[in-house]
Amino acid sequence: MLVRVLIVLALLVIASLAYWWWSSRQGRVTRVEIPGALTPAVLGAPRGYRATFVQFSTPVCAKCPPTKALLTRVAEEYEGVSHVEIDASERLELARELDIMRTPTTLVLDTNGVVVARISGAPSEAQAREAIDATPPAGTEYAI
Amino acid sequence: MAKDIRIDPRGPRFGAAVTLVIAVAALVVGANSVGLVLAFLLAALFMPGAIVGPQATVQSWAFQKWVRPRLDPPTETESFRAPRFAQQVGLGFAVLAIAFLGFGVVLGFYIAIGFVVIASFLNAVFDFCLGCEVYLLATRATRRA
Repeated sequence: MLVRVLIVLALLVIASLAYWWWSSRQGRVTRVEIPGALTPAVLGAPRGYRATFVQFSTPVCAKCPPTKALLTRVAEEYEGVSHVEIDASERLELARELDIMRTPTTLVLDTNGVVVARISGAPSEAQAREAIDATPPAGTEYAI
Repeated sequence: MAKDIRIDPRGPRFGAAVTLVIAVAALVVGANSVGLVLAFLLAALFMPGAIVGPQATVQSWAFQKWVRPRLDPPTETESFRAPRFAQQVGLGFAVLAIAFLGFGVVLGFYIAIGFVVIASFLNAVFDFCLGCEVYLLATRATRRA
């Protein structure tokens, strides 16, 4: 009996440590270089002319709707940034191709549709801004 | 997709605390007839949530009757889909535990109940849905196209 109680306690400690490790990685923004662009046809929606958040969600994902709300709000604050949500469980081939392992995962596209950053998990507002900063500001390169 | 139902997210969390207590009890009493009864109890508690949704469970009824009146109104609601999926995963492990014990595989019983303990612990204490995290991986692994 005592042994089993100790095993249960050890199990809960390990689960807590695993959760702590997992939550410290939540929303991390990594710069990535994936060759090739995501076209509006693939996305099923137009891209922003500066940057696009491509959020992969599933119907059973608890953190996806709040992430969508946050990214939409942040995107609106910037010129030329838009948000697209894709159901990964309906677009499995795309999820495999882009190596989407969990939801929400958000890819950040630059003006040409090339993936420049990847947000794994639910980001904070600061992390969402950090991801937009991975793309050049709208208008600087093509100033008239 | 069927109509969405919005629920108080604290309901499933309370329900996870209930299943956590029962699953821990099952691990502690061990692979005997009492453990089997507790595993059946877990399966019975998960069943309505897995089929209909978390709003149909005994846990949510207890939450609405005794816990909810003592809390502030929820600041946000969530879709019933993620908690329903979590209940399906829980039911799967509870049934697995019963089957293992039925075939005399004692270690399998402990592992299956152990998963219920870990998942409901993370859900109750940290509001973290383990099943939701692995859903896409499971779908990717089991479905083509």
